[in-house]
Amino acid sequence: MILNNLKIFVTVNTASEFLCFLAALIFLYREKSVAWKLFIPFLLLTCCTELAGIYIREFMAVSNYGIYNVYVLFECGFTSYFFFYLYKSYHYKIKWLYIWVAIFMVMYVTDLLYHDFSRFVSTTASVMSVVFVLASLYFYFLKLKDEHFEPLTFSAPFWWVSGTLFFYFGSTACNNFLDYLALYERITFSRSIRYVIFNILDIILYIFWSYAFICRYRQRKSSPLLG
Amino acid sequence: MQISSKEVISLIGLTSIIFLIAPLFLILYVLSYNRRKKSHQEETIMLQKNFETELLRTQMEVQEQTLKTVAYDLHDNIGQLLSLTTITLSSINLNDNQNTAEKIALVEDLTLRSIKEVKALSRLLHGEEIVSRGLRAAIEFELEWLKRSDRFKISLQHNNIPFTGDSSVETIIFRLFQEIINNILQHAKATQISITLEGAVDSFKLMIADNGIGFNVDEIINRKAGMGLHNIIKRSTMINGNAAIVSSPEKGTTITITVPYK
Repeated sequence: MILNNLKIFVTVNTASEFLCFLAALIFLYREKSVAWKLFIPFLLLTCCTELAGIYIREFMAVSNYGIYNVYVLFECGFTSYFFFYLYKSYHYKIKWLYIWVAIFMVMYVTDLLYHDFSRFVSTTASVMSVVFVLASLYFYFLKLKDEHFEPLTFSAPFWWVSGTLFFYFGSTACNNFLDYLALYERITFSRSIRYVIFNILDIILYIFWSYAFICRYRQRKSSPLLG
Repeated sequence: MQISSKEVISLIGLTSIIFLIAPLFLILYVLSYNRRKKSHQEETIMLQKNFETELLRTQMEVQEQTLKTVAYDLHDNIGQLLSLTTITLSSINLNDNQNTAEKIALVEDLTLRSIKEVKALSRLLHGEEIVSRGLRAAIEFELEWLKRSDRFKISLQHNNIPFTGDSSVETIIFRLFQEIINNILQHAKATQISITLEGAVDSFKLMIADNGIGFNVDEIINRKAGMGLHNIIKRSTMINGNAAIVSSPEKGTTITITVPYK
């Protein structure tokens, strides 16, 4: 009975998130850069949110959108900050980060109020995905424009951005038709197509991120100044 | 026609797959562009190394040329002056006071001329310094030596050249000038040499013309004998410039080297 209950918590999402968290813990534990080290608490929070989401859904038999509405704040805050950290070396001004966070907050609050706190902030999440896709593309643009050569195959920022691009770009279609899918997919198919797509996206995202952590670890080992 | 929810959901799934493939190609493109950037960087480093090697060779050639001039001058001028001094001194008859006084005056004159020659040689030996004083000064100094032979009618024309490029470029241009003059001395059988230094808004021009026997440019370049000309063209290209060689038998030669400032 207990084992069966525990099994509910073991999904593709939770497993991939947990493995990525372990990778962060192992490879970024001695990291000196705050931005990179923040991955450990962020991924821990992601795992906890996912487990809490399952618990609320399965054992309390209520909708779990509330916990994801809170999580999206951390997701946006951390991802935006990390993008800013990557752009910083290209003399990117912090005012753009503040402007984006302000826009996001306005959108988030409006979304919550518009739906009377009764559902997931899907519009805000969609806009956030588009912004992160643009941020990833801008990173590629900066890399292409940069005359200085960097071996990208072992570049931690490059693989982090690639994973992020895969995840947010790949989830665009699902995010835009979230309401439609929520309404019809279970009636039409035995399995949720949204669930399958997000499983694939999660696996890609966390594989790329884990590889980025390994690259960062190698980089730190080869140049001790990094940590 | 109404689209069923099954079709819509399949379409969303398909769109998601396409949205997954697109970043994959983008990543592959960025990686392949980055590889090209690497090979471009390696090429740039190689070109820089080649330039440095060529510059070193040029500097050595300038020094070699200076030493050759010194050797010729020691033999033809100072050697002759000192021999004449020795002969004059040995022919002095101490009993003939007037003759002795004349000969001592002659020896004094010969000695003063020798000292002057030695001083000029000493200046020439600082070949590096000559180029560092500016290209025009270096060319004028070189022409001074050439004028002493009285073999050529030499003219130098220049506007106020604002050529303040880096010294390595000036050294290479100076060596090109020396090489062209050497060619004229050895092969052209010319009587007149005219040199023009011209600074324009975006480029610098060095033109050397002679009234010698000339040659067939294509023929010489295609032959192994045209190594000197190949060198002139190659070195001009190395400093982002170009060398235009205009010549035909019995009609003299004009070589124009144009180098952009940046």
